[in-house]
Amino acid sequence: MKKQTLVGNIITYIIVGFVAVIALFPIIYTVASSFKTNAEILAFPERIFPRNPSFENYITAWNSEDFNIKQMFWNSTYYTVICVFVTLLSSTMAGYVFTRGEFPGKKLIFAVFSATMFISLGTITVYPLFDILTAINLNRSLWGLILVKIFSISIVNIYLSRSFIKTIPTALDEAAIIDGCSFISIFFRIILPMIKPITATIGILAFQSSWNEYLMPSIFTTSVPSQRTLIVGVVALKNSGDGAASWNLMLAGSTVALIPVLIAYAIGNKYFVSGMTAGAVKG
Amino acid sequence: MELTNTKKSRQLNSKTKMTLQCYLMLSTQIIGFIVLTAYPIFWAAKWAWFYFDNIPQNTRFVGWENFINIFKDSAYWRAWGTTLKFAVCKIPIELPLAMLLAVLLNRRIKGQGAFRAIFYMPHIVSVAIVGLIFSNMFDYFGVINGLLTKFGVLTEGVNWFDNPNTALMVIVLASTWSTFGTNMIYFLGALQTIPEELYESAYLEGAKPFTVFFKITLPMIAPILQTVLLLAINGTLHINDLVLVTTNGAPGGKTFTVMSYIVKQFVPGFAEANVNIGYGCAMALITSVMYCIIGIVYSKLSKRLSEIY
Repeated sequence: MKKQTLVGNIITYIIVGFVAVIALFPIIYTVASSFKTNAEILAFPERIFPRNPSFENYITAWNSEDFNIKQMFWNSTYYTVICVFVTLLSSTMAGYVFTRGEFPGKKLIFAVFSATMFISLGTITVYPLFDILTAINLNRSLWGLILVKIFSISIVNIYLSRSFIKTIPTALDEAAIIDGCSFISIFFRIILPMIKPITATIGILAFQSSWNEYLMPSIFTTSVPSQRTLIVGVVALKNSGDGAASWNLMLAGSTVALIPVLIAYAIGNKYFVSGMTAGAVKG
Repeated sequence: MELTNTKKSRQLNSKTKMTLQCYLMLSTQIIGFIVLTAYPIFWAAKWAWFYFDNIPQNTRFVGWENFINIFKDSAYWRAWGTTLKFAVCKIPIELPLAMLLAVLLNRRIKGQGAFRAIFYMPHIVSVAIVGLIFSNMFDYFGVINGLLTKFGVLTEGVNWFDNPNTALMVIVLASTWSTFGTNMIYFLGALQTIPEELYESAYLEGAKPFTVFFKITLPMIAPILQTVLLLAINGTLHINDLVLVTTNGAPGGKTFTVMSYIVKQFVPGFAEANVNIGYGCAMALITSVMYCIIGIVYSKLSKRLSEIY
């Protein structure tokens, strides 16, 4: 055992505790301030907790026509649900194909998919994407972006499921083959039920990233404000030029945007961390 | 003879079946790669040679002009300067902090799990919301000015976003706040793989804690350090949303990083109407080539780190 002195432990707690306060402060401040009136936010900036907490900001946001929080919450919800479902299905399937499948071109396709981690021209490529969407009679909209997501490769998640499926013994597959199961039905009947831990990790990471996404949903919904997601809408409020006048709505909106991920984190904390470390080692 | 033939054909048959099913399962992603990744690259590589602003009669071939203009574009190179400044400010704060916290938590103190969860928590907050929160906190009428004047650190509030240096500082703080926990978890994971005996024998021989850190801990986690540093460099080069939301370039476009500058100049919803997209394509190409070079140079330079043990 290392030497653990009392003084050392006290110093440790002081430093770690101090950083913990800094880590928590912006979140606590945001949530607490969302219960203040705008006057209190501006007049008493040094006050962290509201003197007379009220739900006024939430009620205003709920009833507001310009800042349609109900609609935005719904947009965020269906966007996230579809993204999570699509990511789960396509990356576990790809993980399965790349471990158990044998077909000409396997190595090449895997290498090409892996290369997508590094090849990127960034956001300029939204122009050809718009062209393609127009060509198939789909507008620039959240649904257009969802279509893009359905066809995209999430290589980190493929790596995650691939390395997990590798640990599953092949005996079950072989038994299923003898029983006449096809390659695809082995995936749905045998593999998918056995990889629940990794689907939880991928699902929770996909949930967090699509719920939190800003740039792409913002680009795809510029001409259709009614399809904005919550994050896009809250940021749009900042850029709308009202500035300080709408801090209260912004803080309430931010809190509403924060709550789902905080709940997910409280429930699935270990999946966040396991996904991150596994992704770093394998990816 | 006949028997082996039917067996062979059945095997062949099942092989083609398997191939078909594999391609079927990968079909969306293969189509996606061709249409969403490969095609846009060729698209950009083509239009980089044109003046192209989405108005057909303006479109014309310009040869090297777009590329030459990039080298004259002082705002673009200032964005490079900002990006490098951002990296030079952020990484030396973030990684030592993450390392210190990892070493401290590795002492197996009570509440290790809780502290780990708290340090990682900022990372789950949307980067856009992080930008909003920090631009609110550092607003002239915000909580930071309020607290600093209350405790007498400042006599009056600072306009954090009126000066490029302080504005960049806010971005550095916001970005560090958002990611230090992930790096701490990488380091903690690496520390936990170091065998206890190494420390025991070092302490038996009377080594001081600092010596132990530099002679045992640091060399043992060097391979992870190489990866973490790569991710940190990559992250700072790609910083984008945070800048757009926190400062949106303020003051006067001086805090744009490379990625956010390209978005602000060329991407619909952020840029002005009818910009020269061809120029944007050339800029995106040059930028990604330079990022590639940085990546290659880094992996050459840092090779020693992964080979220490």
